[in-house]
Amino acid sequence: MLSPAIAQTVIDHALSLGADFVELYVERQLRSTLNTLSASVDSVQSGVEFGIGLRLVFGHKVLYGYTNKVGADELRRIASELAAKDRRDPVTQASAFNFITSADQHPAEKRLSQDAQLDAKIAYLLAASSAAFAGGSAIHQTKGACLQREQQIEIFNSEGLHVQDVRHYVRTSLTAIASDGSDQAVGADNFGGLLGWEVADQHSAATLGAQAARQALVNLSARPCPSGTMPVVMGNGFGGVIFHEACGHLLETTSVAKQASVFHDQMGQQIAHTKVSAVDDGTLKNAWGSLNIDDEGMPTQRTQLIQDGQLTSFLVDRLGSAKTGYARTGSGRRESYRYAPASRMRNTFIEPGPDSVEAMIASIDRGIYASHMGGGSVQPGTGEFNFSVQEGYYVENGKILYPIKGATLISTGPKVLREISMVGDNFSLACGMCGSVSGAIPTTVGQPALKVDAILVGGNA
Amino acid sequence: MTQHKQDANNTAQKLAQVIFARVQQAGAEADLIINEGSSLSLKAQGGQLDEQVVASTFIVGLRVVLGEQVGAASSEATDPDALNFMVDQALANAHHSAARPSERISPLAGELIADSADLNPADDSTMDEKIGFIIDLERQLSARPQIRNVPYNALVDARQRQQILTTSGRYADQSSAQVVAYVYPLAEQGERTAMAASVAYARSFRELDGARLSDRAYADTLALLGGHPLKSARYDVIFSANVQPQLFGAFSLMWSAKAAQDKVNPLRDKIGTLIMDKRLSLVDEPLNRTGLGYRLFDDEGSATAAVTLVNRGELITLAHNSATAAHFGVANTGHAARGAKSPLTVGLHQLQLQPGPDSQATLHQGEYFEITQLDGLHSGTNAISGEFSCGASGYLCYDGERRSAVRGVTVAGNLYQMLHQIVAVGDQSHWNDSRHSCMASVRFADLAVAGS
Repeated sequence: MLSPAIAQTVIDHALSLGADFVELYVERQLRSTLNTLSASVDSVQSGVEFGIGLRLVFGHKVLYGYTNKVGADELRRIASELAAKDRRDPVTQASAFNFITSADQHPAEKRLSQDAQLDAKIAYLLAASSAAFAGGSAIHQTKGACLQREQQIEIFNSEGLHVQDVRHYVRTSLTAIASDGSDQAVGADNFGGLLGWEVADQHSAATLGAQAARQALVNLSARPCPSGTMPVVMGNGFGGVIFHEACGHLLETTSVAKQASVFHDQMGQQIAHTKVSAVDDGTLKNAWGSLNIDDEGMPTQRTQLIQDGQLTSFLVDRLGSAKTGYARTGSGRRESYRYAPASRMRNTFIEPGPDSVEAMIASIDRGIYASHMGGGSVQPGTGEFNFSVQEGYYVENGKILYPIKGATLISTGPKVLREISMVGDNFSLACGMCGSVSGAIPTTVGQPALKVDAILVGGNA
Repeated sequence: MTQHKQDANNTAQKLAQVIFARVQQAGAEADLIINEGSSLSLKAQGGQLDEQVVASTFIVGLRVVLGEQVGAASSEATDPDALNFMVDQALANAHHSAARPSERISPLAGELIADSADLNPADDSTMDEKIGFIIDLERQLSARPQIRNVPYNALVDARQRQQILTTSGRYADQSSAQVVAYVYPLAEQGERTAMAASVAYARSFRELDGARLSDRAYADTLALLGGHPLKSARYDVIFSANVQPQLFGAFSLMWSAKAAQDKVNPLRDKIGTLIMDKRLSLVDEPLNRTGLGYRLFDDEGSATAAVTLVNRGELITLAHNSATAAHFGVANTGHAARGAKSPLTVGLHQLQLQPGPDSQATLHQGEYFEITQLDGLHSGTNAISGEFSCGASGYLCYDGERRSAVRGVTVAGNLYQMLHQIVAVGDQSHWNDSRHSCMASVRFADLAVAGS
């Protein structure tokens, strides 16, 4: 996308201004979005994004700029503008580029650049909608979506790196709305991966629609959630969003290096119950959060974050490595050329354990089974988090009594890690989008069901 | 108009000329959004500049209407091949869309231009001044007692320009500037820690008051550090001037005629009925220049105007774009919302909750929970059912006096029901920090708070 000759002149120029390290990140992205409303197509959008991000590093200081223009003059101008306050005699020389084609570990067949597959996607979403309406007469509306992206990247740096990669993302979702005349409730399901439209073969339209409808109908019959501190069983799959938010973000050197993480000085210490082991793995084949290389050009890897409750690794990008001394883990990520990379998660999960969900529920006198978690957020400096429950049930004397609505869980990451007393055997993954300092990126969360002995549940009962 | 602006206008009009010629050749009509911007972002750490980002953006978004079908495409490149590809994509997308007879390109013509010194002031500050500002802010706040550091901080100086052109001859153009500074100091006392965000917004760098921002961030963070959970119970609640607009914003679907057309807006059949307490009136005022959300036109290029949504509790109208207005057979209220990369919908501009009849003494009488922060609004709300459940912090107050700081609690309710369960509506209104909403304080009755 960018000629090596232009990249070389820009890097040489930036180094002549005294930069310690220079990097060019070139990106071209195709995007196709389809939305349906019940049995009709609501909107069809597509687009092309292109730009170049230029990063100069002076010591630990990052100077970053970007442009839509390819010319060497524009890139040199940005470098000069960025370095205006830090200009000094050169401290290093550029290495010659050594071109590497990254091995494609995540093959995609039905690629956006070949065919947007709009007819097939429309048929899929309308079939999902039909399946949802078939779920019950109270279903009165559905909203479907399919997003496919093809992101082509090229990275050059002053250490001689020149690498290219292409990433194929696709994600489908269906939301069902149920109504009984006075109340309305929502259910949803989604599926995605780092692959092409063949994703439709992995998660059928019927499954997508039926799951969304089932959840909407459950929520329509739900009662307000009781509140107070109580045990909670968190369901598998997207339940892992709590670990992602409450702990994963605190293990990124983006927070650790600033001592803005409660775990910044706890490497090697027991930070979780001994039943808890956690991983961030960028290598899972065709998984939503996987990569061949990270956005600094390093091959991605599997990183054991916690082993038997002991903190074993942080997630480390180039600058995080320079600031903390920990080795890079292939975790430098960014939404697009508009962002400088930062240490971020990929596919992050708690590993399976020996317990069954049934045993967890049976162990509760009064508490909640949060079978499907919604979203949430965390304050990295304190570890405080909040999460909504998308589908949940009130449990008493070891039995599920009724579905609940309007439940929120709040606690802190360090506290909840120690309160996990049972780890399930029903491990699964789910995809989501993670927003942070370097933009919104695809990440997978996952876990088996977990029992947390005490957590504050907010509700309106 | 400066020579630069004139050149930019010509560039936009030349682009539109090329694109519209190809669109019209295909028998379609179209509108074009051109968004361009530039920004500078500075962050400090340890008394030094930590990150500097210089950005310029340009994107073209095309919407075509071919018969009764609508398609859209966008491009960040403006070379002829890229523009032709964008047009072809938009037309191909239209062929796949369902018939949308109410969605037409606005027949409006003529110019609407907003580019005045109050919206887009000249910047006479230097880079050194801006770097000095963020370094001083971070260094001085870090040096205050009980503050460990200020890990998250920034000064962002941004300028945006939006141009809208249509095949019918409309040209709309608005430029604006906004400067934002934020700090998240991390306080500690023994094993207790706290972090509270403080943000300041202005049109120009010169308007920012770093000392005030620092003082507010310090006070809020120390208060949070000393906070404790409330006893679980039902409390009267007053949301702060920043939080109340956030809560209304999370439920903005209730004003959306697009959501009504899609049959997901619970207020879709409530025009002319009481949807809230009679002391409440809500007006969207896009032309109020005190606010930073001033808009002369919406994203279809339709002129905006003040629109009363609720008058004394009665729903007067929903927010409409041209398509929803045609669908329902009512007037367009100038609330079209469309991005270069996103489809047409509706959105409010500057929502105002009018002052009510109750004195500040009445509003603050006895015990209530003043909520100054709601966590998880993006995930803990259901705009279709009205329910919300979020983490909260603030102060337990009595007769207007903050008696104790509160943290580590949840608050839950149903906004649509709460709007009927009002204790008082204050006789003064206040802008939020981002100056996108100005609201009177409302005291809501008996919200469920879970804590200790």
